[in-house]
Amino acid sequence: MDDARLEAMRAAVRDGDAATAAALAAAVAASGEDPVAAIERGFAAGIRDVGDLWEQGEYFLPELVQGAEAMKAAMAVLAPALARSSAGGASRGRVVIGTVAGDLHDIGKSLVATLLAAHGFEVFDLGSDVPVEAFVAKARETGARLVAASALLTTTMGVQRDLARAVAEAGFDPPVRILVGGAPTSPAWAAEIGAGWAENALRAVAAAEALLE
Amino acid sequence: MSGFLDALAGARPLLLDGGLGSMLIARGLGGGEAPERWVLERGAEVAAVHRAYAEAGADAVQTATFGAHPSRLARAGLAPDPEPIARAAVALARAAGAPFVVGDLGPSGEYLPPVGRADPGELALGFERLAAALAAAGVDALHVETLSDRREALIALAAARRAAPHLPVLVSLTFERRRRGFFTVMGDPLTAALAELAAAGAAAVGANCTLASSDMLDLAREARAALATPLVVQPNAGQPILEAGVTRYAQAPEAFAADLAAIAELGVEAVGGCCGTDPDFIAALRRRLRPLAGSRR
Repeated sequence: MDDARLEAMRAAVRDGDAATAAALAAAVAASGEDPVAAIERGFAAGIRDVGDLWEQGEYFLPELVQGAEAMKAAMAVLAPALARSSAGGASRGRVVIGTVAGDLHDIGKSLVATLLAAHGFEVFDLGSDVPVEAFVAKARETGARLVAASALLTTTMGVQRDLARAVAEAGFDPPVRILVGGAPTSPAWAAEIGAGWAENALRAVAAAEALLE
Repeated sequence: MSGFLDALAGARPLLLDGGLGSMLIARGLGGGEAPERWVLERGAEVAAVHRAYAEAGADAVQTATFGAHPSRLARAGLAPDPEPIARAAVALARAAGAPFVVGDLGPSGEYLPPVGRADPGELALGFERLAAALAAAGVDALHVETLSDRREALIALAAARRAAPHLPVLVSLTFERRRRGFFTVMGDPLTAALAELAAAGAAAVGANCTLASSDMLDLAREARAALATPLVVQPNAGQPILEAGVTRYAQAPEAFAADLAAIAELGVEAVGGCCGTDPDFIAALRRRLRPLAGSRR
């Protein structure tokens, strides 16, 4: 794969161009080239650019969503090839994700789900307004080792504590880790409830990796 | 009816109320439960909060209809008809005895593309129904607030003006402080977005929620320098902190009131509080604003 093609993949994600990202991914899948290289050096580089541009104050929510959509489009096309390739065959871990009960704000959560999938995690997205018991049941069913829960309201963030308690009480072995995020959350809050914390969607991947180490 | 506009243009800043949702939570409203449910089922609690603001010296109390856009009501599991909620909410606000009652319109809860799939026509229809119901119930003005997308705000403003051509419509967006200045989460820059809303006929434009009072003072300075349209500013009481399962806000009333008095000194026409502020904040602000009477401008 030459640099120009990788750069085009990167640009397609950075510019939020899902159609181009999917077409470039399709070419990779059709040629039998290594999908992992295309993801790591192409599409995922574009998502990192989106993150940098967000941090720099150049990008806002629409650009983040469009970048994630382009990434998702490429990943969907590459999924079969990725499953066949030896490097990509092994999932980096299963994650159950959702917004907590009472909280309907799912934009950030959906971004995190897309980014985790793009980075090789197997993601089970339960959507928004998810009861604590549903998180626990899904973790049990899938054998996930991480449960990620978002709360955008101060009124719903307390549910993250209920979730952490319920997961602890479920007695998973090996233990299931918790990752929390959302506007009102903080490192202190996460520490208080015994969870990991991600400041924003783009930081969530590294936080998930750290928790599953 | 024009009494509200006269007050807005008057020699002293109009004092709005403070947080309502956070006050209802303190009175037992469940996390994630819609305050609109309390309008219908526990009106006395809502009325008590309005009364406390009126007694603290607020010139206007804002109705408990923030989440009464039909789309939002449906998502909260309530019947998607804003009319009975608006009627009850206005009566509860009016009973507080403040000089003015402002009908509150929060975001629809749906997002326009590319972030979501909301249909502009449906958003408009919902805002129009809510605005019409508030107008029919006799509010003195309408306030579209906490919107993070200038396009949705323009839709709401147009809908409110169609539904209630005789009422002044205030529009507040919610801004974040980013490296390059104040922007909505959708990327709308402060002064350009407010200027567009003013040009579309808003009686006042401004900012509420998200920011604490010190950041809001900087925001107000920028907005005042760029705009002659009346401004409305309602910051949060600092940042939320959750302690032992209870949310509280970081700021004390006096520090808030000091910043808000400085915002009023800039010539901002209407000030008040948002999340975490309570009647103590409004009372503290009332004490500081009093000396301004007649001396402003």
